[in-house]
Formats: sequence, structure tokens, C-alpha cells
Amino acid sequence: MKRRSDQISAGSVTDVTTQPVTRPLVDPSKTPYKEEPKGPVGRSERRIDGREKVTGTALYGADLFPNRADYFAQVVRSEIAHGNIISIHKEKSLQVPGMIAVYSAGDMPGTNRQGLIHRDHPVLVENRILFRGDAIAIVVAETESAAVSGCEAVEVNYEELPVVATMDDALAEGAPRLHPDGNIMGGKRIRKGDADAALGESDVIVSETFVTQTVDHAFLDLEAGIAHWDGEFLTIHASGQWAHEERRLTSLALGLPMEAVRIITPATGGAFGGREDISIQIYLGMVALHHPGKTIAMRYSREESMRARHKRHSLRIHYTLGAKQDGTLTAAKITVYSEEGAYASTGPAVLRKAASHSTGPYRIPNVYVDVYGVFTNNNPTGAMRGFGACQMAIAYEGMVDRLAERLGMDRIELRRKNLIRNGDAVTTGQRIPVVTATDCIDAALQQFEAKKLADKPLTPYQRRGWGLSVICFGLGYGDGFPDASRATVRFNAEGRLEVYTGGVEYGQGLLNMAGQIAAEELGMPFEQVDVVWADTGRTQESGSSSATRQTYFTGNAVKIAASELREEVLDIAGKLLNVHPHELDLTDGDIKGRFDPSIVLPIGNILKAGRERGYELEGTGIFKPRTVCEDFDTGQSPRAFITYLFASHIAQVVVDIETGEVRVERYVACHDVGKAINPQSVEGQMIGGATQGIGMALMEEVVMQDGRMMNPNFTDYILPTFRDVPEIETIILENDDPGGPFGARGVGEPPLIAATPAVLNAIGHAVGSMPHTTPCTPQRIWELLNPHEAGIPYDARLARAPLHARLTK
Amino acid sequence: MADSQKWRLQCTVNGGTVDTDVPQDEALLTTLRDRLGLTGTKGSCLEGECGSCTVIVDGEAVNSCLVLSPQMQDRKIETIEGLADGGKLHVLQEKFLAAGAAQCGYCTPGLIMAAKVLLENNANLTEEEFFEGMEGNICRCTGYKSICEAIRTAARQWA
Repeated sequence: MKRRSDQISAGSVTDVTTQPVTRPLVDPSKTPYKEEPKGPVGRSERRIDGREKVTGTALYGADLFPNRADYFAQVVRSEIAHGNIISIHKEKSLQVPGMIAVYSAGDMPGTNRQGLIHRDHPVLVENRILFRGDAIAIVVAETESAAVSGCEAVEVNYEELPVVATMDDALAEGAPRLHPDGNIMGGKRIRKGDADAALGESDVIVSETFVTQTVDHAFLDLEAGIAHWDGEFLTIHASGQWAHEERRLTSLALGLPMEAVRIITPATGGAFGGREDISIQIYLGMVALHHPGKTIAMRYSREESMRARHKRHSLRIHYTLGAKQDGTLTAAKITVYSEEGAYASTGPAVLRKAASHSTGPYRIPNVYVDVYGVFTNNNPTGAMRGFGACQMAIAYEGMVDRLAERLGMDRIELRRKNLIRNGDAVTTGQRIPVVTATDCIDAALQQFEAKKLADKPLTPYQRRGWGLSVICFGLGYGDGFPDASRATVRFNAEGRLEVYTGGVEYGQGLLNMAGQIAAEELGMPFEQVDVVWADTGRTQESGSSSATRQTYFTGNAVKIAASELREEVLDIAGKLLNVHPHELDLTDGDIKGRFDPSIVLPIGNILKAGRERGYELEGTGIFKPRTVCEDFDTGQSPRAFITYLFASHIAQVVVDIETGEVRVERYVACHDVGKAINPQSVEGQMIGGATQGIGMALMEEVVMQDGRMMNPNFTDYILPTFRDVPEIETIILENDDPGGPFGARGVGEPPLIAATPAVLNAIGHAVGSMPHTTPCTPQRIWELLNPHEAGIPYDARLARAPLHARLTK
Repeated sequence: MADSQKWRLQCTVNGGTVDTDVPQDEALLTTLRDRLGLTGTKGSCLEGECGSCTVIVDGEAVNSCLVLSPQMQDRKIETIEGLADGGKLHVLQEKFLAAGAAQCGYCTPGLIMAAKVLLENNANLTEEEFFEGMEGNICRCTGYKSICEAIRTAARQWA
């Protein structure tokens, strides 16, 4: 690769590195704990739900309709982005053949409120509409097509109010007030050292403003489900990410005791945070309450799914980074504006995560961060894979490359110099005992170099470059929020092992993780394990399947439960065999003598003996570690997160500077996951996450115009296909986490977080001008390369005055 | 709905005869799922972009959300439910399972049906032919590597 800055005119920022540095590297095949696994943990056991998924027999939400649905429901949604409802006319709708009823807010029996953190979101709008997607009424009909027609026939009269379309609009003088406390939601800060003074003493200062886009989860399995009220119990089958929280929110909104609501999660086709906010559960439950004994079905179309659902926060990040001439980082001053859309959703958590991950895995003594949430009349923004952290990674990794260029330093060396080391603290002041960021970089670089193929020749209009990212990520809710998982492990009457967890399997491999850990702990063959999941009537609360937390939290809970059961089994065996339980072991489904090989007792005998004595062969476990709330004034906490993950990605791209098209040619992803309980699942998460990150870097963007979504479909919302993603090369590092089950940490979100900055840095390296706005569509690349021709010095959204001045008034 | 808007659909689905009334404007996807109970075929984008609803009609891969059921008159339809031979999985199903190519599994039936058509026409694919045959199918969670691996290993065993 050659340096090409001389060929590019304006805004040239080029990495001076021409080749990755060769140095003694960690050999990934020789990392510790790589010996052949003896039990199920560490083996790529086949997915428990794999067979039903490849045969089409797995039942997702909409697959429950045939032969079960009596009535169909459909939601009437607002056609305006901001205003008041003057009146709702149901008459015409009720005349549609097959129509049964139309319900509005007044028919809601409970609080009619939803929202994961603040209950600020009415299930059905009572008066004020805040986005074009707010639910106004629910229609019920005998057939789905009648419901659709009935829905269209509901007449709503609005009083329209000025639309707050952007964050700039929201903070403008005299802007309409969207929430009682104004248009700014909360805020989060970090104060560490004296950033202003340190910047003043820095030899070099680089500044940049980044704008990240609104992203849709675009999971393929549309929201769908059924509900039934028998006069005493309300049962709802609907896909989600946290069955127990969905039960709580549903019971509150509907005014039912929690015990009367049962949520059962069917097979779920992807979630990525998009199912954290409640979707159809309350609508279904409300209609079911009005029609006892009937099974109510409803589903979203793709357009409704995209119009109604929350999105990933679009962030505007002003980043200033200071360093000494030798590359030592001195200070970071960061201001972030986060577009919250119409309601808070998980926004407050996203703000916190953005602040605590604002400087990534770098050692910066002086940090000053302000994060603000700004309400608009766009879709609410909430949870999506890597929230807060992924946008900040774009910024800090982009800044390091810019700084390297300015200093004339190698960008990898600059990283190595400033990465935290064992025992160093991240932005929050939390010390990380074992830091494996450098190991990840080494392994990724080694792979990148080792398998380097001869580069295909380029046309005169093509530029090639590569970029690297390195990230850290705190898993779990953290920040003092109560975070716990519960699990039960038991032998059933047939002697099969049953694992019960409230966690949701939406593709990430939770069932195998829980099953393999239980089988390992109890010395049972994996084939004899069943996992019962996410049914509030049968399983205990295990927290959400989000925040990269299930392996660490539920994995530990299952391990604790299984080890309790193991003790119980060995106690009974000891009595039966008249030996001390410590002299016995459980392997391959049999009790065996540790020292006396003649002792072999099938586990079936124990179960029988236990039952005869009235023992319940069951173990339960709860894993509930504490974190410490970040200080309000300084954002500092000795333990904001339970543990940290590290990863490094490398992307190689070819950019066509005539058309602005970017093609990712090669991709290497390296993650330290502690221990891969199921390496195939871990790889699957790495590849799937990286693919989404590439999508975020290059093509995915929800386009809003005056509160109207311009692309609520897969024709205009572009997702990565087979052609857009190269074969992603994966490297799994396993440095045991002392607190994780069998040393495991987790993997879920970091693959996405690390991917986007790697691609952006590669583009910068290729064209000599660093991107600052995502996604890097052909048009944006062209604008980046031809700022004067494009007539806009920057992205149009950046041309306006900084928000900060208005905020501090 | 008036009778004149009904269509008496006669066709073959997974080797069995189907003879049923459907509304004239009903998509094949809806007929398969909601009328025949064959829910293995999935709907997702509902406008022919994602390929989740791919079925085989007379040997060709078809987005079942885009064709109307009356167009299926006297034609032969194959869906994911017809692939396994009793308890024995089809080689593509077996390879998808082994490669971990089905995570959330929602795109899987469509991918398998598209791949079956592709390999039936030519099991010895160039990269370009492979992309051309498969790029109509989107996977959002698994990424494409294990899917490619599953299809390629199945191709090697293609009889």
C-alpha cells in the first residue's frame, strides 16, 4: 500500500504507515487453556434448536396463528409527527364487514404507560402525539384483512403542531416543549483531572465532529404473537428480549396483578436490542381482556415494524484530544448530543454508556465529558447492540488515527503506547486487572499479515487501505443497577437434565451456553440436556438478553445451580454406596469412584433412590454481583461494570474515488471472550456483529424528513448482502475471567462496536481523508473527497452552529 | 367476500395435492402459511427484497410474497417442510446445522430453498454464480460465512 495523500486535495489526513509493523506477536494457537475440551464446555455442540430451525418447524410468533387465532388486531398509528388528537371517529370502521371493535386510550384498564426506564410513553395516545408512529387506537376483527380495512377506516382529527425534526430544532429559541422538563433529557458527565489545563499544555491538539446515523435493527422476524384471557390468567406469546420485564410492564399498563400475566417467548428471529422496548404485548393483552375466551392474534408489517419501533441513537460527538509530541495522550474533552426521539426508552442508559466508554481502552489522565439527550419528534431511540459504546468507538478510534497522522507516528504504535495495561483505569476510574487489548491487536495483525493475499491490481480510480480498531466494553447493566440471573437445574422423571432460565434465545446461542455449562458441571452427555426458557410461568427472572450479559450472568447462575444439584446427587450416591461423597465423581452420566474404579453407578439409580426418599433432585442458583453507581458529578466509580471485554478488528477496503463506492476486501476480527463455551456460537456472534458493523459503516441509515420516515422498507433501507461482506476471519482469545463461568466473559455486542471504526479508518487510510459521518455512502465519500464541489464544507447537519452554546445559556 | 373473487386453486405442494378456494389477490406466502399451515416459509420484508419467503415453483426459486396463489394453478411447489425425508435431513439442512449457519433461523428456510435451486442447476459454482444465486437472500444475524460454508460443503456432496 502506498501513501496517497499527494493525490487527494482537500482536508487531507493520511496515515503515514505503509505497512503494519512486524514485531514478536502472540501466537493465537498457543494461548492458554486451548487444550482439547473433555466435556461439553469448549466444544461446538450443535444448536439445541438447530434441527427445528433447519426443518422449518420452529414456531415464531406469526407461526402460532393457524388454527388458533379467533380475532385479529391492528394498530391505528398517527399520520402526523406532532400534535393533539381532537377526535377519533370509529363509526365507519365498525361498518367494515368482519369488524368487531375499536379501542382507544379510554378503554385501557391500567396505567396505559410504557417505557423501560421512565414510564413516559402512553400505550395508546390520550391526547398529545409525539411521533409519526404513536399508537392511537386498536381495531379488532374476525379476519386479518378486515382488521386492516377497519384500521384504515378509523378517522382521526388532529390539531397539528410544529414538528421538531432535528436536535437543532429542539434546542432552537422558542422550540415547542415536547416533555414537561423540556427538550433535554438528563445528561451525564465525566470529570477527571483538569482537561482544559492539560489541553493547554499539550503539544498537539486534534478536534473533530462526528455524526452517526439512526440505525434500524432490521431483524427479519416481524413482531407477532397471540394472547388469551380466560377470566383469570392472561397468556401472551410474543417475541421479546426480557419476558419478566414484559410481564411487569404489561401488568402495569393493563392494571392486572403480575401473577395474572404469563409471557411465553416463542422462537425469535433476531432482536439486537430492538425487542427491549415492549412492542405488541400490551396491545394483545388489552384486546384479550375485552374478549375473554378468544385467542387474539396480531402482527406488524415491515413498514409498521420500522415505523413503530425505537432506533439506534444518532449521536453528534465533538471530540478534542490532546497529546505530547511523543504521542502520550494528555486529555480528552468531549461533548455528545444524543438524539432521543419522542420518548426516553433506554436513552438514559445509552447516555451513561456513551460517557463511560468515551475514551475506550486508552490511558488519558484528564477527561471532561458532557452527554446530553435531546428530544425530537422522530422515532424514540433506545437499545441496539452496543448502544452508546459503538458510536463512541467511531469517535475515539477515528481520533487516534487523526492524531497519528498529525504526529507523523505509526497508528498502531500510537495505540500501543496509550492502551491501558493491567491494573490501569478506564474513563470511569475503574481499574481493570487484566487488560488484553494489546493481545487482540497482536493476534489480529498477525492474522492479517500471515494470510495476506496478493492484492488485486487497482484501476486508476481505486484506492486501497486498511484500518484497525481496538475497543474495550463493560458488560452487564453496570452502574449500580440491580443485575441478577436465576436458574434451576433438575433431573426429570426420565433422567434427562432440564435447565430453566428466564433468558431469551433469539439466535445468539443462549440455549447451548446454558445447556453446555449444566452438562459440564454435572458430567452429563450434552444430548441428555433440555433447556426451558423465557416462560414467566415456568422460569425465573434471568434479566434481559442484552448488554452482553447472559453468558456471564445466566452462565454463572446455571453453574451454581448445577453444582448444587451435583452435591445432592453425590450425597445420595454416598449413602447408597456407603462411601464419602468426596470419593465419588460424576462423569458421562454415571457415578464413579474417584479412587476405586470398581465403583460405577448409573445416575438413574440415584434419581430413583432420591424420589423414594422424597428428595427433589433440583438445584437453584442466583448470580447477583454488585456494581457501584457512577458518581453524579464526576462519573467516577470503582466498579461501574462487572468486567471488561477487549477486541480488535482490521478491515481492508477498496474505495472508488470516482463513484464513492467502498468494498470491504478483507476482514479480521479478534476477541478475547474469556472462554468460548461454544466456539461456533462465539464465531457466529463475531461474524454477525461485524456484518452489522460493516452495514453501519457503509449503508444502513434511517432517513427522517420532518418526522416522516422516508425508508421504512428493505427496498430503501439497505442491509449487507452476500456480496457486501468478505469472509470474516475470526480469532478467539481465551484469557480466563476469574468471575465468569469456566472463565467466560461473553461476546454479543463488541463485534459490532469494533467493526464500524475499523472500516472507517480503512477508508481514511485509503483516500487520505478521514470520514466523520456514518454511513459512508457513495455520496458521502464523494463529498468527503470533493468538499468544495459538493458546496458543503462538511455534512449539512454540521454546518449549523454548535449546540453547546445554546445549552450553556 | 363474494364468490366471484375466489379462485379454486389446484396445485401440488410437497408432492401432495392441494384443492382449495383462495381469494384471487392472495399471495402464495399467505396461502401456504395461513391456509395450509405450512409456517416453515417465513415472511419478512414482504416485498421481495429479503428472500425469507423463498419457495421452489417448478424448479425455480420464487419469492412467495410476490406471486399470487392463482398463478400457481397446476404447478409444483416445494417448501422447507418437504425437504427432509422422514427423520433424515436433506444434505443442505444437515450442512446448515453442522456449520452453525442457522442462528436465529428466520432466514434459514428461504436460504435452503434458494440454495437447493442453485445447486440443482449447477453444483459446481463459480463465486460469481454463487453470489448471483444467493444475493437475493438476506441474513441479519449469522453473517454469511457459515452459510457459504454450508452451501459449499453441501455442493461437494451433491448427487
